[in-house]
Amino acid sequence: MFRYLLIVNLLVCMANAQSYEDKRCKCICPSINSVMNNSQEDNDNDRILVIANAAQTRCDCDSVILPKYADKIKGKEQEFCPRCECKYENRNTTVIKVVVIIVIWIISLLSIYMLFLNLLEPLLNKRSKQNYQEHLDEDDGASIHQEGGSSHNLPMVNVNVSRNNVLNRVTNQQDKWKRQVQEQRQRIYDRHSMLN
Amino acid sequence: MDENEFKMSSSSSQDFTGADAFEEDWYQNSPYSDFYTIDWLKDLARDRMRHRYILKRRQNSLWELIKGAHDALSGWLCVLLVGLVTGCVAGVIDIGASWMTDLKFGICPQAFWLNREQCCWSSNETTFDAGNCSQWVTWSEILVSAKEGFGAYIVMYFFYIFWALFFSTLAALLVKNFAPYACGSGIPEIKTILSGFIIRGYLGKWTLIIKSVGIILSVSAGLSLGKEGPMVHIASCIGNILSYLFPKYGRNEAKKREILSAAAAAGVSVAFGAPIGGVLFSLEEVSYYFPLKTLWRSFFCALIAAFILRSINPFGNEHSVLFFVEYSKPWIFVELLPFIFLGVMGGCIGTLFIKANIYWCKFRKCSKLGQYPVAEVLIVTLITAVIAFPNPYTRMNTSELIYLLFSQCGISSGDPICDYKRNFTNVNQAIEIAAAGPGVYKAIWLLILAMIVKLIMTIFTFGIKVPCGLFIPSLCLGAIMGRIVGICMEQLAYNYSKNWIFSGECTQGDDCIQPGLYAMVGAAAVLGGVTRMTVSLVVIMFELTGGVRYIVPLMAAAMASKWVGDALGRQGIYDAHIALNGYPFLDSKDEFQHTTLAGDVMQPKRNEGLAVITQDSMTIDDIEVLLKDTEHNGYPVVVSRENQYLVGFVLRRDLNLALANAKRNFDGISGQSLVIFTNSSSVQNLGPAPLKLKKILDMAPITVTDQTPMETVVDMFRKLGLRQTLVTHNGRLLGVITKKDVLRHVKQMDNEDPTTILFN
Repeated sequence: MFRYLLIVNLLVCMANAQSYEDKRCKCICPSINSVMNNSQEDNDNDRILVIANAAQTRCDCDSVILPKYADKIKGKEQEFCPRCECKYENRNTTVIKVVVIIVIWIISLLSIYMLFLNLLEPLLNKRSKQNYQEHLDEDDGASIHQEGGSSHNLPMVNVNVSRNNVLNRVTNQQDKWKRQVQEQRQRIYDRHSMLN
Repeated sequence: MDENEFKMSSSSSQDFTGADAFEEDWYQNSPYSDFYTIDWLKDLARDRMRHRYILKRRQNSLWELIKGAHDALSGWLCVLLVGLVTGCVAGVIDIGASWMTDLKFGICPQAFWLNREQCCWSSNETTFDAGNCSQWVTWSEILVSAKEGFGAYIVMYFFYIFWALFFSTLAALLVKNFAPYACGSGIPEIKTILSGFIIRGYLGKWTLIIKSVGIILSVSAGLSLGKEGPMVHIASCIGNILSYLFPKYGRNEAKKREILSAAAAAGVSVAFGAPIGGVLFSLEEVSYYFPLKTLWRSFFCALIAAFILRSINPFGNEHSVLFFVEYSKPWIFVELLPFIFLGVMGGCIGTLFIKANIYWCKFRKCSKLGQYPVAEVLIVTLITAVIAFPNPYTRMNTSELIYLLFSQCGISSGDPICDYKRNFTNVNQAIEIAAAGPGVYKAIWLLILAMIVKLIMTIFTFGIKVPCGLFIPSLCLGAIMGRIVGICMEQLAYNYSKNWIFSGECTQGDDCIQPGLYAMVGAAAVLGGVTRMTVSLVVIMFELTGGVRYIVPLMAAAMASKWVGDALGRQGIYDAHIALNGYPFLDSKDEFQHTTLAGDVMQPKRNEGLAVITQDSMTIDDIEVLLKDTEHNGYPVVVSRENQYLVGFVLRRDLNLALANAKRNFDGISGQSLVIFTNSSSVQNLGPAPLKLKKILDMAPITVTDQTPMETVVDMFRKLGLRQTLVTHNGRLLGVITKKDVLRHVKQMDNEDPTTILFN
């Protein structure tokens, strides 16, 4: 797990080296033909897209487009520039990165926990049932309403009592939660009394 | 014998009187069980009493003063926290969903957390390559190293379907395994909860987590749904969870609903970047009890949430929604006609959608289909993905489509929908009106197809067991319709610019008709037709566009759509779903128009016995038998069996607690002890010491006479938020009317099946 984290971190660092600025000035202009009185049919791909790293106040055609295309436009600036659309945008890549990684983590944790609950736990339960015969009568959590029934039956011979208590409490909480989810499931999927 | 008087365990303070002394014990476990309605009157009275108590204690010490100040502040503090957290969660959902949506198409290998637009953020390529850049790698480039061509298309198609299925399956499984309550939009349930119903766990931690993650997944799956409705649910969950930090709200269900109202406002505020629209939405659509104080708190909460989301800037456009557009062009008077036409169409589409969706949901509820929720999600996703991919307008994210339809055709839009035969020689003018090119006609056909597909798919999608909202699909349907009408109008104006209708404003070459505005009006119309909102809808749309001058067109469309919708079918989608599920929601918008009397509705009917407790002649055993035999939530206390003069009302829960407590704590109490609800200790009794329970008795229950018309009774239930009222005749107790009885009666009078009400 730790190793995986490291790899992720490494990737993150490597990617950081790439240039991903957080500010840009994006200008889109029609093709130059449109003002040069050329009779060519202008098509989409002739349009000019310039992304520059300009300050918000200087994000306009005059300071972004003209320096690059001055020689081509020549004298038609006053006609060309009003047609351009310049938009200043900013973003925060760090926030995006953190959020996306958090989302991935949450989803993978939930998926793993779901797999654990569905695949591994029945197996574990089966084994523990073989060990403790007294558990056999209450394997169906949904019908039991005295919570913590199983915890009282657990053999308290363990020397480490306090630890056992914490564990029990966690197990109790988990059982309680599972029962609630089970109830919700019945209400929605079986009886269809809610959220149809 | 006074030593046996029932004393509450911890707080025996003299200031606390009556049922209020119960606080400590009551609060440990909530006073209401699952699927009960709350007693607004009692809860609010309890809060006032607590408030007086704090005020009184304030003079005692500095600490008490601070406590008092904290108590006074806690409402604002709580909504502040709710706003902060809601903004953050909304930011996470927005960023996550936009990233995952683009994952269907490709990946940004240099920085995998960026979506396509962010990946191409600073690319210096000067050509338009279908929105792609070299940094962004599509799946077909990875697998068959080709961007175009048949093989690439197949690979892209396959990956689109694969990711869609993967995301939606994961969403459905997560919902099923961790929080089944997280499915659906949640607004009907929030409405019911705000009207005073208890659904335990509906606003809990797990619901919050799963709903947030699930909505990211299901939006990314490309299903025809939106994240705006669930955002209201998510915000309400946050409100509920955070209210537990403040005992004033967490422990008082009626007060908690004030926070929930504010949270719902914050939910819409972040969903649309429309704080005022959110407040009005909470007022118009979800809230039940909405005093001015709550209005201000909602305003504050919505403001904070919008501010936080805005500073997170999830879409990189300085706004909290993807489809924010800025308009400034004026509209001409003649255009009101098409706007109203759009409103009428919106009402029709809305009603059609509601009818079809309710029919399908009923079918799902009653047939075998309901037993396979995950399979249903899979099939719906598969069909959606297979149909959606070939059409570029359904393939793209719905929010992006809405943005495309809303925005004006400028030089920056390379979509076929903006393929006009523009005359570029006349450069000093703004973009002028022009004949539509072949691209526009092709786009119209594709859009019509997209609209049909979206309408049908949304009918089947709304109600599957993943988190799903309705706003975005309805906005999208309306936007498509509006854009098409707009293009038609534009071409009319272009071709008949000399006609008197257009001649005044559409002088030569001026772009007087904007299809984008029509798209917006159409979106408002369909959303209005589906949800039957008016004021909040117009404000939301106007906040989306940032143009005050379009209020009149939006109002006209919203009004027309509401009229037509109400004429065709009475209920909006949320009310229809409330009715379908049989939630105990007493709508304050409906009027009760029948002439029945309270005596006809009350329980028990004429010749059955009424379960009552006498004030000083029943033993503990008698009461326990009564509690065992009947399942009422409360019992009226009368003078005696012969003289059924009303003394008060005692709740079952209080009785249970009090009896258990007495048995545990007092010696000399046995089954034979009398239970006395009076002050007088004049009862001469040789048996065991009596148990005095006057403190749990509500001496001021709301009563009506049996001749009271039901209109009045229903009004009392609605406006006072009653749980039950006692019916008397000449001062003698005749029976009880509970909220359940009222709801049943209303259903019966409307010729619906009264047994479907979900109620304990």
